[in-house]
Amino acid sequence: MTLPKIARKFLLLDLLKGLSVTFRYQAPKEIYTEQYPLERPEIAERYRGLPRLNVNPETGETLCIACDLCAKACPEHLIVVESERDPATKRKVLTNYTYDVSRCMFCGLCEEACSTDALELTQDYEIAQFEREGLVLDRARLERGPEPTVYTR
Amino acid sequence: MLNQLTSYLNSNQTPGQAGNMLWVLIYILVVFGGVSLFVMVMNWVERKALAHFQIRLGPMRVGPHGLLQPIADALKLFTKEDVMPEGADKAIFWSAPVWVVLTGFTTLIVVPFGMTHAVTDMNIGILYMLGISSLGVLGIIMAGWSSNSHYPLLGSLRSSAQMVSYEVAMGLAIVSAIVMTSFTGLGMYGAGTTPGVGTLSMIEIVKAQQAQHVWFVFKFFPLGFMAFGIFAVAMVAETNRAPFDLPEAESELVAGFHTEYSGLRWSLFMLAEYAGMVAVSSIATTLWLGGWLRPFPNLLPGSTWDLAFSFVPGLTILFVAAVTIRQALKMPQHPALRANKIGMLGLGLFIAFLGLVLFIPGVRVRVGDIFWFCLKVGFFIYLYIWYRATFPRYRFDQLMKVGWKVLLPLALGVLIVTGVVGLTPELTAWVKGLFA
Repeated sequence: MTLPKIARKFLLLDLLKGLSVTFRYQAPKEIYTEQYPLERPEIAERYRGLPRLNVNPETGETLCIACDLCAKACPEHLIVVESERDPATKRKVLTNYTYDVSRCMFCGLCEEACSTDALELTQDYEIAQFEREGLVLDRARLERGPEPTVYTR
Repeated sequence: MLNQLTSYLNSNQTPGQAGNMLWVLIYILVVFGGVSLFVMVMNWVERKALAHFQIRLGPMRVGPHGLLQPIADALKLFTKEDVMPEGADKAIFWSAPVWVVLTGFTTLIVVPFGMTHAVTDMNIGILYMLGISSLGVLGIIMAGWSSNSHYPLLGSLRSSAQMVSYEVAMGLAIVSAIVMTSFTGLGMYGAGTTPGVGTLSMIEIVKAQQAQHVWFVFKFFPLGFMAFGIFAVAMVAETNRAPFDLPEAESELVAGFHTEYSGLRWSLFMLAEYAGMVAVSSIATTLWLGGWLRPFPNLLPGSTWDLAFSFVPGLTILFVAAVTIRQALKMPQHPALRANKIGMLGLGLFIAFLGLVLFIPGVRVRVGDIFWFCLKVGFFIYLYIWYRATFPRYRFDQLMKVGWKVLLPLALGVLIVTGVVGLTPELTAWVKGLFA
C-alpha cells in the first residue's frame, strides 16, 4: 500500500467524499415527485383510457349508428350494441350500449373500427371501482364521458 | 411555597444541588417533556431530511409539509392493536419496553443544558450516564428473549455483542477526555495557568474546558480530536443507528429485537432509541464541544461580546420563522391548500413570537446556554441522519473488526499519549531528577 493510500484510509477521505455527495443531493430543486391529486400528470393525446360515446355537440344526438362494428372488432366481446329499426326512416336506432371495462385491455380496436368517430378512448385513467358492476358502463355513462374525481380535504 | 419557587432562581445552582425538590420536579418534567417533544420533531426532521438526501419529498400530506405527521403516527400507534405472541414470556415481554424507556430517560437527568440547567449535578455524572445507558442493553435482550421468535433473538444477540464491544472503545475515549480535565493546558492549546481539576461531573467538565480556554476536541491536537472521532463512531454503534444498525437490520432481521412488538410498546422502543441518541450526543457535546459554552468565550470576552452572542438565539429563531413564512407564502394557490397555508403562516408567526420573547433581557440571559447546547446536540442529530443516508450497513464481522482491531487500540494509544503529553512537565522534572 502506498503512502497516499494509507493517508486516505486514515483520514477517512472516502467516507467524507461520500458524505459530500449525499449532502449535495439535498437541493429541493432536484425533486421530481408529483403531488398527485393536486398536481395531475399530463396525459398523451393518444393514451387509451376510459371509453366515451361521442354525441353531436349541436343537437345532442349520438353519433353512433348502431352498425355493431365495434362489437365485432372487440377481441374480448365486451361491447353489446342494442338497436331497433325505426319504421319511419328504416334506419337502425341505438337503444342501449354496454361496455364492460373490467375485461377491456384498451387495445383500441373498437375505436379504430368505428366509422363515425362515435366511440373514443379518452385520457381518463381513474377507473378504480369498489365493485365489478361499476365497471360495466351503460350508454348514459358512456355519453357523459370521463368524470375525473375532484379531490378536497 | 411561592418563596421556595422564587428563592431558587437566585441560587445559581442546579435544583438538585440547591436541594429544592419543587424545582427538581419542574426540571424533570421539562427535560422529559422537552426530550419527548424533541423526539417527535426529530422524527419529522429525519424523515424529511432523509427524503431530501434521496431526492424525494418525504411526508407532505398531514399538515403543511407533513408537519403534523408525527402526531398522526402517534395517534395511529396509540390506537393500534397490542399484540403479544402466544409463546412470549408475558412479564418480561411487558417490562422490556418500560425498562428501555426508563434507562433511556433517566440518563438525561445529569445532562447539563446550561450552567444551572441540569436536574442535578452528580460528582460521578459521566459514570452515571454510561452506567445507566449500558443497562438499556438489558431491556433489548429482555425484548429479544421474551419474544420467543428467531429474529428478535438474533437481533438482541447482535445488539448485546455490539454494545459490549463498542462500550470498551467508547469508555477509553471518554477516559482520555476526563484525563484532560486534570491537566493544565499547554502553550497554544490552552492557557497554562489554570491547574487541572480532574472531575467526573458533567458540569465541572464543561467548566474545566472554560477554565483551560479550550474545547477538548482541540486540546493536545490531534489527540482530543482523535478521541472525539472514536467516540463519534462508537456512539453511532451504541445507539444501533446506521451504518451500525445490525440489531434491527431491516433487510436481514425484519426489525431485530422489536419484531414482535406493535403499537404503543413499539413506539416506546423508538422513543428510547431517540432519547438514547440525544443522551450520547449530549455526552459528546459536554466532553468535547464545550457543552453550553458559547463560541469563543475567552477569545472574545467581555460584556459587549456577551451581549452580541446573547442575541444569536433570538435571531436564529427569527430566521427559522422567516423561512417558515416564506415557505407558507410560496405554497401554490389551491383551495385544498388554504388550511395548510394558514396553519403554516400561524406556525411561522408563533415561532417569530418565540424568537422575540428570546430578546427579553431576563429570558436572554437564562436561555443562551440552553440554546448553544441544543445547537451542538442538533448538529449530532443531523450527523446521525446524514450517516444513515450515506453509509451502507457493515457486515457483522466488519463491525467487530472495526470495534476491536481499530477503535480499541486507537483509543488505548490516544489515552496513553494524552497522559504522557499532559504529564510532560512532571516527567521532565522526574528525568532531570534522575540525572541531578
